[in-house]
Amino acid sequence: MANLNIDSVKDRTFDAIVIGSGMSGGWAAKELTDKGLKTLILERGRDVKHNKDYPTTNMYPWEFEHRGELPMAIKEANPIVNRCYAFGEDAAHFFVKDNDHPYVQEKPFDWIRGYQVGGKSLLWARQTQRWSEFDFEGPARDGFAVDWPIRYKDIAPWYSYVEKFAGISGNRDGIAELPDGEFLPAFPLNAVETYFSNHVKSKYSNRHVISARCAHLSKPNQIHLDQGRVQCQERILCQRGCPFGGYFSANASTIPWALKSGHATLRPFSVVQEIIYDEKKGKASGVRVIDTNTKEAIEYYADIIFVNAAALNTNLVLLNSTSHRFPNGLGNDSGVLGKYVAFHNYSAHIGAEYDGEKEWTTDGRNPAGGGYIPRFRNVYKQETNFLRGYASGFSAYRYQQRPWDGVGASLKDNLVKDNLSGWKVGSHMMGETIPKESNYVALDKSLKDQWGIPQLKISVAYDDNDEKMKKDYVEQLTEMFTSAGFTNINASTDNRAPGLDIHEMGGARMGNDPKTSVLNKWNQMHAVKNVFVTDGACMTSTSCQNPSLTYMAFTARAADYAVSEMKKGNI
Amino acid sequence: MHRRTVIKNLALIIGGAAILPACHRIGGKASVTLKNVNISADQEKLVGDISETIVPKTNTPGAKDLGLHLFVFKMLDDCYKKEDQQAFMTGMGQFTDIVKNKYDKSFSDLSQKQREEILLNIEQDKDEKSTANPKEIKTFYGIIKGQTVNGYIKSKYFMTKQVVYELVPGRYNARFPYKQKQSA
Repeated sequence: MANLNIDSVKDRTFDAIVIGSGMSGGWAAKELTDKGLKTLILERGRDVKHNKDYPTTNMYPWEFEHRGELPMAIKEANPIVNRCYAFGEDAAHFFVKDNDHPYVQEKPFDWIRGYQVGGKSLLWARQTQRWSEFDFEGPARDGFAVDWPIRYKDIAPWYSYVEKFAGISGNRDGIAELPDGEFLPAFPLNAVETYFSNHVKSKYSNRHVISARCAHLSKPNQIHLDQGRVQCQERILCQRGCPFGGYFSANASTIPWALKSGHATLRPFSVVQEIIYDEKKGKASGVRVIDTNTKEAIEYYADIIFVNAAALNTNLVLLNSTSHRFPNGLGNDSGVLGKYVAFHNYSAHIGAEYDGEKEWTTDGRNPAGGGYIPRFRNVYKQETNFLRGYASGFSAYRYQQRPWDGVGASLKDNLVKDNLSGWKVGSHMMGETIPKESNYVALDKSLKDQWGIPQLKISVAYDDNDEKMKKDYVEQLTEMFTSAGFTNINASTDNRAPGLDIHEMGGARMGNDPKTSVLNKWNQMHAVKNVFVTDGACMTSTSCQNPSLTYMAFTARAADYAVSEMKKGNI
Repeated sequence: MHRRTVIKNLALIIGGAAILPACHRIGGKASVTLKNVNISADQEKLVGDISETIVPKTNTPGAKDLGLHLFVFKMLDDCYKKEDQQAFMTGMGQFTDIVKNKYDKSFSDLSQKQREEILLNIEQDKDEKSTANPKEIKTFYGIIKGQTVNGYIKSKYFMTKQVVYELVPGRYNARFPYKQKQSA
């Protein structure tokens, strides 16, 4: 770097740097550029431009070489990512392949990643629920992790702020444990989902089956049209990237918005090796990236750094940012960096049939996926032999049965007959897991990636609380299904590894006390005031809501705070 | 896969490999070039005739019109495990022999009714414990049947002319009246 002149340094100096361009990084970029900051967005993967880089988006099923199925060679070479439900012939190009980016599994962990502009926001399941007061007060009430440094009232206005821009469909259900938001019209429940909702309401005072809330433009507002997005067309091919911008992704929304401001520079193929700490100034001065193509190391400088590399990679970047002041990772005075990682337990499901409502079916497709049952266990008080609880998906569907028996003309006839099944119903659990010191990530001492950056070692597992909760989910849903008159009830559990939920969180948790947490109530590092972490790494606990909406709200709130502190001269 | 099954399959594969070269010598060159499986022209014709028996040309297109047997090969080549590919080849040899022994003819020379009988005999032999048909024949037939029908219902013809696939529904009616149609 010695021979670089002053102009070059100036060219590499920004007001803000955002590490990562996905769900939360896109928001950081949008907010910081909206406020006029000259912002560098770093993305380790390639660029994926809205529409232009969605190669499969308008393909018909018969246009796929294997009609949607991935070749065996790809499956066998990628046992980890192949376990993800969305890893198919239409979207495999948006997933990290196992061998390209190895990591160390001290315990089995399916780390599902999307290394490209937009990250996993292209691929997410688009379910969006607010946290409630009951979630933020959880760790303090139940005595685990550390107390969240904020409460619902602190984040509520920011939920509203991001919901209006992202576009969230839902009903105002008036449920204290799942606060209402700024909603576009909900995708309604179908006949049997409605039946079950009514039944549950009549039988249980504190259980609700509501229309799933999701980041789809059921009825766009001007702010969505301004982003170049239009109404969701109910294709349910979201993982390919949506030409309508019908669902929220960084690619369709925040990234182009930030670029349009004229204040953003997007640099793909830039993996961050470390954040540079200036011992004299007592703050971070910038980042060192490695160009993934040329392998050249380049430094960029800024007053504010947002770390949004996705939960575990954010941990990796921070752990690898060592200095005289921070020998164990940036901002890691407490020693908790990398620890207290948690996730969501998706390992139980239940299916059944319902013999009624046969005069009804559905027409078109439901982007919301059906219904959602907010957590009903241990909400107001501890009432079970396990801590916390679970939310559940719930959906009912009928499908055209295409009996494959037989051969010849009769088979051809059978394949086109109207042979609609009766109603099937299904649910899956989404359980909160308890962050523990023993669930951690760390840098592997010897293994490096192809750019010389240490590989991440992951050591995360279920515990007894998860097993008890899983059992309770099966019991409670079985009871609810039985009581509703569903038949052929079939509950099943699987042995999936943590990670496949793709809701890994924590490692750089928020807290009031710098001795036991990495970030303060503004997602700001206790010890390095110009570094903010607003992706999943910041999470003190996991609750059981789908996390992305909360990351968006944290990011917008932190960006607002960061810029106001900068203007006051505090950063 | 369980270890026991793997060992069993391995034995069958070795057994199957011994008869493969014989199949290759006769039959000539196939029109399709596959990466993992070697198919002769005769074998290509056999699979084409089986696919056509499963989805025959009626007043609507059949398997050969729609190239479904080529899709079967494509899927066999790309989307199955090596042991399934080998079982397929072994099963194909066994199938040819059985037809020859029973009718003293090749499959192509049989009537539609005889062809259907042979296929249904394999298809309906579903009991795991049954030894009526060798396991490889079931794999051979199962792959052709599954991928012929899969290719058929995911063909452009089927998805535009029979049961129309909508790429862009543009609607979700959660409560839509249903009365069963008597015919398609």
